Amino acid sequence: MTEKTVNTRAKLFGTGFLLCIAVGVTIFCGYQTYQAIQTFQKNHNLAVSGDVRTIRSWMTIPFIARVYHVPETYLYGALHINNAPSTRRDSLNTLAIHYNRPVNALIAQVQQVILAYRKQHPYHSSTLALRDRSPPTSRRMAE
Amino acid sequence: MSVFLTTILTFFQSYGYPALWVSIFIAAVGVPLPVALVLLAAGAFAGLGDFNVFLLALVSITASVAGDTVGYLVGRKWGSRALDWLGRSRFGTRLFSPRAIVRSREEFNRRGGWAVFLTRFLVAALGGITNLIAGSELFPFRTFLACDIAGEVIGAVLPLSLGYAFGTSWEDVGDIFSQFSLLFLALLVAMLLFVRLLRYLRFARSIKRMEAARDIPATKSASRISPTHVSHLSHPSHAPHAPHAPHPSINPMIDPPTPSSGPLPGQ
Repeated sequence: MTEKTVNTRAKLFGTGFLLCIAVGVTIFCGYQTYQAIQTFQKNHNLAVSGDVRTIRSWMTIPFIARVYHVPETYLYGALHINNAPSTRRDSLNTLAIHYNRPVNALIAQVQQVILAYRKQHPYHSSTLALRDRSPPTSRRMAE
Repeated sequence: MSVFLTTILTFFQSYGYPALWVSIFIAAVGVPLPVALVLLAAGAFAGLGDFNVFLLALVSITASVAGDTVGYLVGRKWGSRALDWLGRSRFGTRLFSPRAIVRSREEFNRRGGWAVFLTRFLVAALGGITNLIAGSELFPFRTFLACDIAGEVIGAVLPLSLGYAFGTSWEDVGDIFSQFSLLFLALLVAMLLFVRLLRYLRFARSIKRMEAARDIPATKSASRISPTHVSHLSHPSHAPHAPHAPHPSINPMIDPPTPSSGPLPGQ
């Protein structure tokens, strides 16, 4: 057997081994992508139905007010947060730092406030939830 | 959510378009920031009327093209010098052969446009390094700019429109994005390895054929040699008359043909 043959055979096995790893990684990535799509579908359905579990730390109070159909003034009042133009663009994360509260506690408080509002205004919340399925522009016009 | 993303989003929510421009520019220069996620979030905010989606797209495209150009120029100014030094110095020639550097330059000039275009939106993590390589490989600036703008338009419009469409679920869309990007990269590597493996297989087969061609005439000629010939050959006085002993270097049947596939793969 010549040196060239041995060299080629070594390269062949090396490449075959790397290919096996690459195929394994591809399958793993494919499975992860599939799982990500499934998680997205689940969470998106929750968000569309107005589930308060989808509230995140990056959301601002006006954003939450529009997505979950609660008046901004009600949210600010219930959370004891000053409704100033400077705080309107602050996320829950920033507000939590500003008001010395843990972010998760603030999110939980927002969730409770929204649920309490829905209990108080069942008709208003359900009609808004139906309107939520329309495009954003028409929703804004309707409001 | 990562600390980087939270910081950039807070910065963006507080200062608006200029903050977005600065973050995207820094990311385009080469700092690894999760800009696609920021654009998805920006699209979500635009969907609820906080920002203008067209202005966001314009800001994003201009910032990323400016950042990419800076990366390219940095590569062109210092990267090409570094490559030249690598090609000349003893240390560099130990790491990469000068032939490999020349070949990589030729290869990038041939297919670099695709690399620039695809790394703008499909494998965005490699965008910064591609800009530096494009500059250091002296890739034509006009072609770079054309591919860059085309890629960045997709790279900005895609996440913005997805964020606009899916609103609060932008984080999950971002997850799909990053997973798909990894899947594409893994698939690309697997395909390249598969092509390489095929080449090696073909080459191994051609070597086998050559060896077989070398062996057959040798056995044939050996069988043609009769015992008397052998006795003649064994006697030193008869050695010049050895009738059919073929010389490997002059017999066309034994001389191995050069493989038609060209040079050795991987050399």
